[in-house]
Amino acid sequence: MLKKTAINKATELAAALMEKGTLIAPVKEDAGFNFREISDAKQVDLNFHNTIISPKSAFFPQTEDFVRYQTGKSILEATPVELNIKPAFLFGVRPCDVKSFEIMDIHFSGTGLVDPYWQKRREATTVFGYAFDLDKPAEAEEFYQTLGIGAADPEGSDIFMVKKDNDLLMKAITPRGEKLLTGLNIPSEASADDEKYFDDTVAAGRNFKTRSTCVDARATAKKFEDLFHNTDFWEKMSHACLSCGACTFVCPTCYCFDICDETLFSRGTRRRVWDACMFTDFTLEASGHNPRTKVYQRLRQKVCHKYSYHVRKYGVISCVGCGRCTRYCPVNIDIFSIVEEAVKA
Amino acid sequence: MSSNNPYIPMPVEISKIIDEVDTHDIKTFRFTFLNKEDGENFKYLPGQFAELSIYGKGESPIGIASSPTEPGYVEFTVQRAGTILPGLVTAALHDMDEGGKIGLRGPLGHSWPVEFLEKKNIVVVGGGFAFTTLRSLINYMLHQDNRSRFGDITVIYGARTPGLLLYKDELAGWGKRDDIKTVITVDKGDETWKGRQGFVPAVCKEVAPSPNNTVAVICGPPVMIKFTLPVFFELGFSKENILTSLEMRMKCGIGKCGRCNVGYKYVCSDGPVFSLAQLEELPRDFW
Repeated sequence: MLKKTAINKATELAAALMEKGTLIAPVKEDAGFNFREISDAKQVDLNFHNTIISPKSAFFPQTEDFVRYQTGKSILEATPVELNIKPAFLFGVRPCDVKSFEIMDIHFSGTGLVDPYWQKRREATTVFGYAFDLDKPAEAEEFYQTLGIGAADPEGSDIFMVKKDNDLLMKAITPRGEKLLTGLNIPSEASADDEKYFDDTVAAGRNFKTRSTCVDARATAKKFEDLFHNTDFWEKMSHACLSCGACTFVCPTCYCFDICDETLFSRGTRRRVWDACMFTDFTLEASGHNPRTKVYQRLRQKVCHKYSYHVRKYGVISCVGCGRCTRYCPVNIDIFSIVEEAVKA
Repeated sequence: MSSNNPYIPMPVEISKIIDEVDTHDIKTFRFTFLNKEDGENFKYLPGQFAELSIYGKGESPIGIASSPTEPGYVEFTVQRAGTILPGLVTAALHDMDEGGKIGLRGPLGHSWPVEFLEKKNIVVVGGGFAFTTLRSLINYMLHQDNRSRFGDITVIYGARTPGLLLYKDELAGWGKRDDIKTVITVDKGDETWKGRQGFVPAVCKEVAPSPNNTVAVICGPPVMIKFTLPVFFELGFSKENILTSLEMRMKCGIGKCGRCNVGYKYVCSDGPVFSLAQLEELPRDFW
C-alpha cells in the first residue's frame, strides 16, 4: 500500500500519530537535529539530513532505571522500575540507521538471554524509515554504500517514506505498517506515477554514491585479526585520539553500557547508562589490573569490535556507515580511513 | 536472577561466614535464598559465577565456591578487593554479619565441562585465591553419586604462605581419602609448616601427572598460569585438555554490556571457562 500526503501537512500526520501513542521524530535544536519525543506536532521537522545522536536511544535510552532502593533498608524493600511502555512511532529514520536496529536486535534480543528493555520497546514501536534526498550529494563522512546499504532501502522499516517534490510518499513494508497506514485517514491514495517514483527512488538509492571502498565482511574481519598485534599500525591510527568517547555516543551500533548505583542521601536508583570502550576505566578491575591502559588499545578495541569481532560472533559488521563518529570526532579520526588502511595493510 | 528480567537480583541472606585466611581479607559467605522458588530454580555446575549485588554499592562477579551437590545454599569466597581504591561491593560484604541480606544474579557463564571430564583423569591446579571454583569442581567430583564418573583425581594447590591456604579443613579431609591425591604447597613456609615448599609450576613438574586420558584444570594468578602451562605442554598435554577460567571486568554478566569483550567472545557468557586451544584463537587482550 502506497499513500501520500503533502509535506506541509506533516504536522497533521504527526498529530494523528500522537493520538495513537508516543511520537519520536527529528526536531531542530541549536546544534542541529535530534530525535526527540514530540509534545507539539509543529516540532516535527523533516528538513534535515541526519540527526546528531543516532535514533538508538528510542530503544536503548542513555539512562535506563532498573531498581529504586533506600540505603540502610532491606533489599526486600527495593522496587524494580515498571517498564511502562506505550505504543510508539519512530518517524523519519534514515535507511542506514534503520539497518542499525537489525544489527542491535541480534545482540540484544536474538542471541542468548533477551534484554527485556530493548525487546519491549522494539515490539511497541513502529518505524517510519525515510529515504535520503537523492537530489543532494551524500555528506563527506558517509560511507553506507561501502556496507551495502542504499540511500533509500525500505527493508527494516514498517513504513518507508520517500519525498517527491512537495509530497511525502508512504509505503507499508510490514503488516504492522500496513495496518497503521490503513487506519490513518490523512494520507491520500497514491497514483501509478507515485508508485513508479517510489520504486525508482529505491533503485536509485542502491547506486547512490557515498565514499566507498571494497569491504568483504569475512575478509575484513580476518584482516583485522591479523593486524591486532601490529602496534605500529594502531599507534599511527590513534595518535590524535583523546579517548573522549564521542564516537561511541553518537554511534547507532555502539551498545556498551555500565550498571551503576546512584544514591542521593538515602534514596537511590540502580540504572544502566551508556558507557564506552574508549574510556580508560572501562576495563579497570578492582585489583588495579587493566588490560587496556593505552589509547591505541582502546581504539583498536572499538574498530576491531565493529569490523572483526562482531562479524565472527554475529555474522555482520557492526557499522552502518552513517559517518557520525567521523563528523563529531574532535580530532578528525575517520573510521572509514582506518578500514581502508587496514584493507591495504 | 529474576525470572523475567536478568538485571534484577534475587534476595539472599547470609547464613554463615567463614574467615578463611590469617590476613582476614578473604571470607566464604554462605547464602540461602529468601524466596524458595529462587533457590529451586538456581541450578548450576562448578565453574559458573554470579553477580553479588548490594544496592548503593554495585555488583561484583564472583565464582561459585560451593558444589551443586550441597543443596539448600550457595557459597562464594570473596576477597576484600582494591589496592588503590577499595572495592565497594566486597568491602561492604566483608563488613556484613550473618543474617545480612544482599542480592544475587545467576548462575552465569559456562561451567567446567563436566561431561567432557567424565571417564578422564583430572589434574586440578590452583594458585592462591583462585581456588574457589576448583573447590566446587573437586567437591562435585568427590560426591558419592559422581565419583565413579571420573578417573584419578589429583589436586595441586599452592598459596604464598600456610595462612593463605583456603578451605583448610577440607584440604585435610581430602588428604585422608584414598580416591584423591592432594599435593599442597606454599611458596614460603613458617615454623609450623611441615608440608611442601615451592612454587606451583615446579611442583607440577615434580608430580608430573601423566597426560594419558587426562585433563588439567588450571586456575590461578596470571603469573602462575604463565609458568604452569609450559610444564603441562612438556608433559604432553594437548591444548584441548588444558582448561582455565578467564577474568575480565564485568557488569551485566549476560553478554550484553560489552565490557568483558575479548576478540569475538564475551568472557561472561562465552566463558569464563576456556580451553587453551580456544584461548589461542583470541587476541591477547586480557592479561
